[in-house]
Amino acid sequence: MTKKRGLGVGSMFYGIGYGFNRADIGSAYIEMADDGTTTVYSGACDMGQGIMTVVAQVAAEVVGAHIDTIRVVAADTTSTPDAGPTSGSRATFVQGIAVHEAASDLHDQLMQTAAGMFECEKDELEAHNGDVYLKGANAPIASLAEVAARVHLLGGRCASWGWHDNSTADVDPETSQGDAYASYGWATQLAEVEVDTETGHVKVLKIVSATDAGKAINPVAVEGQIQGGAAMGVGYALYEQHILDQGVPRTDSMAFYLVPTSMDVPEIQCEIVEVFDPKGPFGAKGIAEPATVPTTPAILNAIYDAIGIRITDTPATPERVFQAIQEARARGEFED
Amino acid sequence: MEHYSLKINGNVYETDAEPFESLLDVLREKLRLTGSKKGCDEGECGSCTVLLDGKPVLSCILLVSDVREKEVLTIEGLPQGGEPHPIQVEMTERGGIQCGYCTPGIIMSAYALLQENPRPSEDEIRFAIAGNICRCTGYSKIVEALQAAAGTPIR
Repeated sequence: MTKKRGLGVGSMFYGIGYGFNRADIGSAYIEMADDGTTTVYSGACDMGQGIMTVVAQVAAEVVGAHIDTIRVVAADTTSTPDAGPTSGSRATFVQGIAVHEAASDLHDQLMQTAAGMFECEKDELEAHNGDVYLKGANAPIASLAEVAARVHLLGGRCASWGWHDNSTADVDPETSQGDAYASYGWATQLAEVEVDTETGHVKVLKIVSATDAGKAINPVAVEGQIQGGAAMGVGYALYEQHILDQGVPRTDSMAFYLVPTSMDVPEIQCEIVEVFDPKGPFGAKGIAEPATVPTTPAILNAIYDAIGIRITDTPATPERVFQAIQEARARGEFED
Repeated sequence: MEHYSLKINGNVYETDAEPFESLLDVLREKLRLTGSKKGCDEGECGSCTVLLDGKPVLSCILLVSDVREKEVLTIEGLPQGGEPHPIQVEMTERGGIQCGYCTPGIIMSAYALLQENPRPSEDEIRFAIAGNICRCTGYSKIVEALQAAAGTPIR
């Protein structure tokens, strides 16, 4: 039984959002009740990616409220404005700005009223973690809840909405040249594999992923998206394929369409690179789909490094790898 | 229809069911214990995992008629005194949950492991949850959360 190890690198760039002049809109309503509870009505649908948390974080930061006082109502067509699908790694990038705009306007309304309460200019005030301060002061002069109650008492507006259009110009229809997307994500991954030259079985030992997140608004969620993306890349490289036999799916269950398990996915070390993106909320951009892209080439390059054979069809199943090794052996080009 | 007295989470539930119904369907549809999830309904994804006399089983391919006189533990039975179990706390705190569909099954498999082996290695954790497919997390944060719940060092 011989096992050979190899290292491989994969790099990629990825257009964030929809690009190509396709509608790419985010929007949100926001309001603060007279007890200081802020509700964000956000059209972005959270299927586990974490956009609800990101929305709450952006709203808290911009309004100056405490995160625990933010309530997010998400993807409810009776109460939330449309924000498009959570896809294309666009949710944080597009909806984050819409929420930022809504929260910024609400913040202004509150500071305007606070300025009246304390006979100063609103630019002299700031708010964080639910309290209002004279800029630079250590002690708060009021809570946001008190200011919000004042706004409600005066019959003022304590609500706003934000809208963001991330749509881009299309590329040239004849040459396909142009800047198709509003922004681009970048990622490089390294994979270490072990190839069993008697069976063709490939085991991924470790993946290291360096991903440009712009700004990691929620580092745990960013890592989770990167690790999940890389795990899909492991599946694409080694396990997953949809087989049709005269139009009939033959891989119609998880026993045949192999999704990687906890035994197949290795440790995935995340290095988050933060290069401020001027178009994203607090400089953030999408990272989730980009994390899937470089994994497969990194693994296939690692297989090449291990055994000196290029596998050009995915998935690199034991059968395919073993056959490639046998062919190389027959040509006298394989060293066991 | 037959009558069943099922011992679930320390309580006795009375229900009528066909003997060929799966435990999962009885839990979800008859008893409204919807914590156990129906992912594939053919014993491949693990999201329906419950404990039967302390051992993890797939409730989607277990007939309700095979559960008589046995103790069933579902995800609803884990919290004590209204407080979530430490595994649930760590899964929540450490990003072990994304869409959440695999989560109850993962937690039940992990709970069964920790009952037998309170301080498992990373390999033992990964083996214990190998029958629970997760498409979101890449398993890293799940493993971290289970290490934290077991009080073993996190890589």
